[in-house]
Amino acid sequence: MANSYLTSESKKLATWYFTVAATLFGAQLLFGLVAAIQYVIPGFLFEILDFSVARMIHINALVVWMVFAMFGSVYWLLPDETGIETVGIELGKLLFWVFTAAVTVVVLVYIFVQVGAADETSIWFIHEGREYIEAPRWADLGITVVALGFVANLFMTGMKGNRSGIVTVLMADMIAFAGLYLTGMFYTDNITVDQFWWWWVIHLWVEATWEVFVGSIAAYGLITMIGAHRKVVEMWLWIEVTMLFGSGILGMGHHYFWIGTPEYWWEIGALFSALEPLPLVAMFIHVLYDWGKMQGEESAKGKDVSVITNKPAFTWFVLNAFGNFLGAGIWGFFHTLPQVNLYTHGTQFTSAHGHLAFFGAYATILIGMMYIAVQGKNGIKVMNNTTSTIFATSMITGGVVGMTVALTVAGYVDVLVTRAQMGATWAGYFDGQSGAWFAQGMDWRLVMGVVTFTGFFFLVKDLLSIGKATHHVR
Amino acid sequence: MVNEAIMTQDILADDFLTIFVSSTLVLVFGGFYVGIYTAVKVKLLKAWTMPFGYLFWILTAYCLYLMGSLMHVNELTAKALVVAAIGILLLPHAVYYMQDRVHEENEH
Amino acid sequence: MAKKSVWSDNRFWQRSAAWITGFASVLLIWLTFDTSGQISMGNDSDLKNGVTKRVPGPTVINYKITYEMDKKRQHEVPVIGEKEKFFGRDDYSEEEAAKLLHLGKLGSQTKNCMNCHTLLGNGAYYAPDLTKAWLDPAWGPTGSMQAMTGKSTKEEAMAEFLQHPSQYPTHARMMPNLGITAEEAKGLVAFLKHMSSIDTNGFPRNFGKIQGAVNGK
Repeated sequence: MANSYLTSESKKLATWYFTVAATLFGAQLLFGLVAAIQYVIPGFLFEILDFSVARMIHINALVVWMVFAMFGSVYWLLPDETGIETVGIELGKLLFWVFTAAVTVVVLVYIFVQVGAADETSIWFIHEGREYIEAPRWADLGITVVALGFVANLFMTGMKGNRSGIVTVLMADMIAFAGLYLTGMFYTDNITVDQFWWWWVIHLWVEATWEVFVGSIAAYGLITMIGAHRKVVEMWLWIEVTMLFGSGILGMGHHYFWIGTPEYWWEIGALFSALEPLPLVAMFIHVLYDWGKMQGEESAKGKDVSVITNKPAFTWFVLNAFGNFLGAGIWGFFHTLPQVNLYTHGTQFTSAHGHLAFFGAYATILIGMMYIAVQGKNGIKVMNNTTSTIFATSMITGGVVGMTVALTVAGYVDVLVTRAQMGATWAGYFDGQSGAWFAQGMDWRLVMGVVTFTGFFFLVKDLLSIGKATHHVR
Repeated sequence: MVNEAIMTQDILADDFLTIFVSSTLVLVFGGFYVGIYTAVKVKLLKAWTMPFGYLFWILTAYCLYLMGSLMHVNELTAKALVVAAIGILLLPHAVYYMQDRVHEENEH
Repeated sequence: MAKKSVWSDNRFWQRSAAWITGFASVLLIWLTFDTSGQISMGNDSDLKNGVTKRVPGPTVINYKITYEMDKKRQHEVPVIGEKEKFFGRDDYSEEEAAKLLHLGKLGSQTKNCMNCHTLLGNGAYYAPDLTKAWLDPAWGPTGSMQAMTGKSTKEEAMAEFLQHPSQYPTHARMMPNLGITAEEAKGLVAFLKHMSSIDTNGFPRNFGKIQGAVNGK
């Protein structure tokens, strides 16, 4: 871009990643909306773009936009943390184009080919049909190459420059993140073994490595946005890593209750997933504590100005601390014990939890990082909210919370009718789906989905225009 | 016909709502407890609000108990829930202690 | 300068993080070895000798499967009974059965079952759970699906439905036509039958046991 204040190539690359991430976020919401409409009007796009296709794109776009935004966030913070330009930045740029091209091809094949014959060719070139990691095998290999290149850049930069605590955590975390993807790439006829390893990718991503990633980004954000003390923040980061990995790795057990794995996973899963909310509570306290402390120090000096240098981003970071606790913590905890999970596993409760947890734990902080990038790109010292910021933040957050509540109500009907009373049969399933509360829940979910999607347009408008507003401190 | 044997460990249909509400309240009340404790310590709230914090902890523990008993949890899980209740009680103390220490050492 | 406390020492927490992560990972890997042994697929001689495997061999399609309460474990488990014809045969060799299961499992992925249905409870929630679909009373002799598809056995009814799902609507929400061939349908039904024989620790609870009655009342 011509009028950019960015001198670092790494930060420029980060803005590319954020741009694609935001686009894919839009695609996620659009196809989510299609799927939501199909719950209400079952004939909508029937045999043209069926629910299975819409949902596949919905959840794949979700995973991919978050990965793009995560790569972008790392490329953004690396020069700040290490004090040098990212090593291998040209490779990074090349891989960015490879990644973007691959994702485009994959999505087009999803939309226009949809399903293939029951053979290996379909697995290689169409999709693998495994929730969240449907990408066909050629793309799997491509993603692995891209991820390795990214990790290599991170390591080379971290080792050459100043390796801060945040960078150290990221290095360890990102290599685990990339390595775990490999456990989801093979094919087996044994569905139990299939799902066992599938969870290694999904669970160890979203309940371990991604959470630690969020911890690192939150640490970086607190230092850059409110000037929190690095020593305090980094100590906290290590405590968070301890708590997150300590509870999250064996929290895996809660996915091994019913897939054919032995019964001892009940105890392991119950124990460690009961501990999983604790780090989320701790992260929440930490953000508020640091904010209070820093504001207190400023006030003590007699200055009555906010310590926050980027209002929109900080709002999203606080929403992250709160949303992580609410979505992953509360919405996860209330159906995690095996005694109750027997009835809630695979119902709309899971869907409610999925929506709020992905949004609260990840979408929020990554949007926050996008605002930090906008601030840096426009050379703004203190960035204030615009009307669009407020519309975007409240509509997206309100919409997702609304969808979650609606899905929770629907899920309650699902659990009570389909599971507890009807024993989960075909007939029981449709009895549950026909319930008045269920149907209304789905109506409200659609309404709230539209609210979220509208909020997305405010977000895009704001990200594109907030840098030009005149009420910032430059 | 409903077979008697298959019903022994089932959660009663009427109990589901109580279970979901109480397990949600565990973390909500727990959050209030932790929040009030931290807020009092960093002087955002007056000291007399502290007993309310502990009251919320008692409610948390009660909700854990209610949830556990309606779910018919086994002995090991019951013990884990007791540990969780004590863990929540200690958590903000430990967090505050460490935060304070590290801040003292880095006083500017 | 205040006293240095171990609790506010970065290195202490860094080491704790490393040790706890390492310990949890080692435990997970160790448990993975144990679980992998228990969930490996059985074979034909296991079935013939009555050896119970959590995931039986593919030739389980030669046998009748039921889902019964285990008093000791206090939940239901799949029980493999006497021989039962599957598409007119009950003598599939290990090789033939494995080939059918392979086709079915591949089909379950390439047809994207998991983005509408749940398998072992995982997937999307737009269509019924398939974990024990083979045992669903709807497909049995008293259910509606055999009459609807004009077939006289469960497996043929299922295969017919899979090939022409939108001809047999059971609900306003219909299954779309996924171009499933007759051979693929046979494989998919074998896959479903095999999946119903997996010991899922009693999930789903009370499957097919309650018809019309209300739990706990």
